[in-house]
Amino acid sequence: MSKKKVIEQYTRDEIAEAFVFPVKLSPKQQLEANIQLNNHRANRRAAMTGPEQLNLKLIQLKFRLEDYIDGENYNPQYTFGYFLELYLQLTDRKKKEFAADIQIHETQLSQILKNRREPNESLMIRLELHSNNTIPAIDWFKLLEKEKGHQLKTDKTLRDKESQYVKHSLQLV
Amino acid sequence: MHIILKENNERHVVLVSPIEDVDFKKLTVKRYFFNWKKLKDESSIFKLTLANSKDILGLIALVAHPEERIEIKLLAVSAENVGKNKQFDRIAGCLIAFAGREAIRKFQNYPALSLIPKTELKQSYIRKYGMIDAGWQLYLEDAPLLRLVKEYLS
Repeated sequence: MSKKKVIEQYTRDEIAEAFVFPVKLSPKQQLEANIQLNNHRANRRAAMTGPEQLNLKLIQLKFRLEDYIDGENYNPQYTFGYFLELYLQLTDRKKKEFAADIQIHETQLSQILKNRREPNESLMIRLELHSNNTIPAIDWFKLLEKEKGHQLKTDKTLRDKESQYVKHSLQLV
Repeated sequence: MHIILKENNERHVVLVSPIEDVDFKKLTVKRYFFNWKKLKDESSIFKLTLANSKDILGLIALVAHPEERIEIKLLAVSAENVGKNKQFDRIAGCLIAFAGREAIRKFQNYPALSLIPKTELKQSYIRKYGMIDAGWQLYLEDAPLLRLVKEYLS
């Protein structure tokens, strides 16, 4: 069906729910369109409040976290502690302050940030609540799971150790 | 991300992924309205499919601009999903929200999503997707962009 027929056959709302048509502007119109848009955006940016900026940054962190969790690659740098550190930076919290916010000991928080202590589910829920539900506990859980999954898959020492407890392993072709 | 089968209001999970060369054979003008191959070199084209199917229900062509903006060059749902008798609802919304997510992912400071509307469709886009009128162009950024992404992608 041609663009012309679509316009004849459907209402404007129906078209907006199904299409963005290509619109060709002259170079002069395009320049004017870009200037208009840039000015409009600059005005909005100037009026943006602190909480609005924080909201945007948190969503970006959430997407970054989810892209990593859903991706196939494992990156040893992207630990629970790494993403939690980013969260602290975005929310402009010092360790002591943040530990008080979620009511855990500062030492415990430091150990989690340095990946020397495994976070529990209560902490993940507290992180969800602290972010006003922007970053759900399940994202933190999946991040930890990805880390542990990689360790399990690649731990040769544990395999060597455990092999002494397995007898009559299946002989398969 | 989901679309809704209109006959029973059932939710169906969908995926948006980059178009592959083999897909172009299937993209007839009859079902997808445009010659999508023409945009192949100048934009990034993505397809929307049901999670358990390869059938393409919608397409979007995007161009990234240096001023932290992604522009929707073209969008179309498949022919059976246009108008009041359409099979699935929300296809275009999911594609636009996906483009918004790409902008948020790609640009760290002030990501935006824009399109140049046909004049007579401007108000419909504003009503349906909460777009902001900037004269020749419509756009989404900050709170309105996040609202759309949340509505369609969560």
